Amino acid sequence: MNEFVRGGLYGGGIIVGIMSSLLFVLWAERKMAARMQSRIGPNIIDPTGFLQAMSDVLKLLQKEDIIPEKADRALFNLAPVFGAAAALAVAAVVPFSASIVGADLDVGVLYLLAVGAVSVLPVFAAGWGSNNKFALLGAMRAIAQSVSYEVPLVLAALVPVMLAGSMKVSDIVAWQASHHWLVVWPFFLGVPAFVLFMLAMLAESNRIPFDIPEAESELVAGITTEYSGMKFGLFYMTEYLHTVIASAVAASLFLGGFDGPGGPGIWWMVIKTFVLVVAIYWLRWSLLRFRSDQLMALCWRWLVPSGVVLVVATALWVVFAA
Amino acid sequence: MAVKEQRTIDTGTGFRHPLYQVMLETPGLTVGTAVLDDLLSWGLTNSMWIFPMATSCCGIELMATAASRVDIDRMGVIVRATPRQADVMVVAGTITTKMAPRVLKLWEQMPEPKWCIAMGSCAISGDFYRNLYSVVPGIDTFLPVDVYVPGCPPNPEALMHGMLRLQEKVKRQKQGETVTPEPNPDLLKITRPSVPRLNDPTRSTIQTIEQERASTNPTADEACAPLVVAATEPPPNLAPLTAADFEGLLKELGVTTLPPDGPPIIPAAQHLELARRLKGLGYHLLVTIVASHWPAGKGRKGADAAEVEHYEVAYALRTVGQGSRVATWAVKVPVAEPVLTLSGVFAGADWQEREQYDLVGVKFAGHPDLRRLMLTENASIHPLRREFPADAAAAPWR
Amino acid sequence: MTQLTVSARPRPNPYLPIDSLDPEAELMLLHFGPQHPSTHGVFRMDLYLDGEIIVKAVPYVGYLHRAVEKLCEKLTYVQQTPIVDKNDYVAPMTNEQALVMVFEAMLKLEVPRRARWMRSLFAELQRIASHLLAIGTFSLDLGGALGGGSTAFIYCFRERELILDLFEDVTGSRFHYNTHTIGGNRHDLPVGWGAKVKAALELIESRMPEFAALTIENHLFQQRTKGVGVLEGALALELGITGANLRASGVDHDLRRDAPYSAYDEVKVKVATASGGDCYARSIVRVEEVKESIRLCRALLDGMPEGPINSGKPVKLPVQTKIPVGQTYVGIETPRGELGTWVIADGTQNPYRLKIRPPSLHALAALPYILPGQTVSDAVAILGSLDPIMGEVDR
Repeated sequence: MNEFVRGGLYGGGIIVGIMSSLLFVLWAERKMAARMQSRIGPNIIDPTGFLQAMSDVLKLLQKEDIIPEKADRALFNLAPVFGAAAALAVAAVVPFSASIVGADLDVGVLYLLAVGAVSVLPVFAAGWGSNNKFALLGAMRAIAQSVSYEVPLVLAALVPVMLAGSMKVSDIVAWQASHHWLVVWPFFLGVPAFVLFMLAMLAESNRIPFDIPEAESELVAGITTEYSGMKFGLFYMTEYLHTVIASAVAASLFLGGFDGPGGPGIWWMVIKTFVLVVAIYWLRWSLLRFRSDQLMALCWRWLVPSGVVLVVATALWVVFAA
Repeated sequence: MAVKEQRTIDTGTGFRHPLYQVMLETPGLTVGTAVLDDLLSWGLTNSMWIFPMATSCCGIELMATAASRVDIDRMGVIVRATPRQADVMVVAGTITTKMAPRVLKLWEQMPEPKWCIAMGSCAISGDFYRNLYSVVPGIDTFLPVDVYVPGCPPNPEALMHGMLRLQEKVKRQKQGETVTPEPNPDLLKITRPSVPRLNDPTRSTIQTIEQERASTNPTADEACAPLVVAATEPPPNLAPLTAADFEGLLKELGVTTLPPDGPPIIPAAQHLELARRLKGLGYHLLVTIVASHWPAGKGRKGADAAEVEHYEVAYALRTVGQGSRVATWAVKVPVAEPVLTLSGVFAGADWQEREQYDLVGVKFAGHPDLRRLMLTENASIHPLRREFPADAAAAPWR
Repeated sequence: MTQLTVSARPRPNPYLPIDSLDPEAELMLLHFGPQHPSTHGVFRMDLYLDGEIIVKAVPYVGYLHRAVEKLCEKLTYVQQTPIVDKNDYVAPMTNEQALVMVFEAMLKLEVPRRARWMRSLFAELQRIASHLLAIGTFSLDLGGALGGGSTAFIYCFRERELILDLFEDVTGSRFHYNTHTIGGNRHDLPVGWGAKVKAALELIESRMPEFAALTIENHLFQQRTKGVGVLEGALALELGITGANLRASGVDHDLRRDAPYSAYDEVKVKVATASGGDCYARSIVRVEEVKESIRLCRALLDGMPEGPINSGKPVKLPVQTKIPVGQTYVGIETPRGELGTWVIADGTQNPYRLKIRPPSLHALAALPYILPGQTVSDAVAILGSLDPIMGEVDR
């Protein structure tokens, strides 16, 4: 089959799959949050509340689309679309099973780091284009945060790359299948790298406790303050896309990807991703948030040095022990 | 089905999605629109996000409605802090004339389709504040209200019920069973608060407000000079003055008779001295400043018809710690004259004096920042003066 | 972690015009409020920002000015309790108490012992409810409506509902009880109510550790609050700040102990203070006060005397209660500090002038002094930790 046709078909399938999984993620998060707060969560629309996300989307589609008079129209309108696109583009190199992968690039890890870094641009465009001070403050925070947390993210991602000796994501998964999952052995490298990667990913995707760019209690709604209707819906969706895809990437790099007991398969990927998603939401609904300067201090004082130590240790391990 | 085909689409001027408009105008798609209509109204009614216009007591019950006992999230309601993403504005609490233009502005910032719930008697009618100078007698004087939730404040269950009624209303509107009623002709007679629009040249911009402030503020003089002091430890607790000691202190300042019906009246020139002395003696806590207006012929016990119109400004200080005592004194000045400010001695006197200036009208000499505190900056009234009526006539926009 | 604040710094001068702070006009002016999720009602601050650092803060109040003092001049003395209920709408019980106590002082009425004990019991229950709400909304400010903050907030509200239920049993209303009258109380305690109170207190006490783990023991909470918004004791006194905010600044002052009223001369209060004067100190003082109030409630319930709940003074028409000419000030310790009422009576059925001393107004006056040098995030935390209620600020 033609490479492009195959990529297009699988890519389309992956996008549809991820988007439809969002409905489930939205439902699961809302119900989980409700249970954590000793509430019930949506149950009037239907007994399980599963249709709530669909209702929200239908509602948002019907809302008036307001563009502030003095907004930068081009940036304001493009930001939500590019945001969602940048989040989805990361999924291209993630192998969901041995065959289901959009494009198994030789420099897959480099690609996902690079595209992941692009996702801050729509945030900046939204903040600047809205012509709103709260949005601008949010965008300022988001940029400082993303640029800083890029460093520990790269350092953490280097650990599986060095161990597997390849930048291809499927090679990393294959290496884990033939050796051990990275968090199992060598766990003294794998577990810290995994934690570092998850922390940096949380910060990159602006989740609590690192969600200061859209801190509702301080900045009203941060970068999305001026967005109404489905444009806001896209931002809302992008948040969840980031979470799901970041979890999928972490599962591939550190938790053995689609490999698992009883043979490899897409179900392993789904299970691992959702376990990580639930963990992220668990954190979200139980933690408060940092202040922006504390966030920077955490990154540059703790995460970056420990990332450097980790990379050096991995190099020594690869040269002498493995 | 026949009923559905006959349905009239409401002809309000509300917003309609362009796609929906195209479907309405295409012949043969009427059945499609009927089904689509149901689907869309299902989406609208089950995902009503609240913009909490919470000003007072009802705001607390609004929060309680979101909490675990009633849990308004059960019907898909979440609270959004920005008006751009909300569908229902819940006006929970009293709306004052100072706040009303902001409420209207926020309402205009909400995207169509949008609804409004008036929660509580203050939002519905102004409650017992309705005839006073600063309160809007019901938000329906300037906002289109869809559902009224009565109570003071309504229970969380009542608000939940109100939301369910709103759902019903939206469904019926979509099915053309209800139409927007003609506006009440009585309502049209009410003069609404004028809200300057963005391009209105009369609208005072930030710069002009700043300029006004700069021109009205007195320059910082001696009175506010000692405010910049280094941080110190809290002062030690001294033994409070006995009544006899206080009397002695007053005698030193030239006050011989203690009136039976209120705090002793100190000569206006000496009251700062008294405040400093008391502060040195352990009265560290500024309790309050009360100004009262006395028209000609009225006053304390024994005042005769020759009494001129005057202000009486009373002060209270307190000692800290065990056996706390209050010391009070008053200053009496004719209406034209100012009182010396206490803000050089107690930083907290700043806001207290601003409030008394705002509401009673007494002026404070040497105050670093004598602006209105409660009313809007361009207000021309001093409502706590005796001649000011407690009734509606004086409400600025009625 | 870096802390942007230095605890001992010269007191900023809030009266410096912005031009002298910012001659190049490079600062950003952020209008914070009057409708903002974290302003605790309708309150506005103009923040002049250098990046995220606040250079100057100008607070504006009065967006909820309901003219209560004018209304009270119009109404007779007995008609005023339901009005003042709405001032501090988080603690209506203590509002009523502050009002009727000054009338009783002017009429020289003796309040029966049972009524005084009931008032103290109501006040302590109200203090628990109010502090729970304060800490809940404070964590909402720190953690956001869609995150851990809202979890802590909802836990606080869940506990608060228990106390509202108790008040509903006595007075028939969740809010705005109107149960204090001049000379005593209107509603007696229902049969079996004491057991309900004890069960509710038991439940609240058992949940305190869970709730503390989410807030004051939480590492993130401590990082966001320690050293933030330091208010020195001397400044607090000068500004007239009272209550938990003053005690957090190291000043040992509580009217319940220092000028006892109601039942506090018989049931002694242990006063919680903290040094530091930062947001964290204010929070831990509130948590300690909740624990102390639980203890006081139990003591008050156990020793609740029998007897009449009203002075029973024969008044044909309560509306015609007249207060002799005079001026009196009475202040009591509410959850937010010293709430006082100054009444000028002229011998008629209506007061000549009635001034309410709201503790929250004094607390807000501290903002221009403690905000400069902090970040926008801290501004939210500081405002939340001062626990202002706009209803009583603006009246």
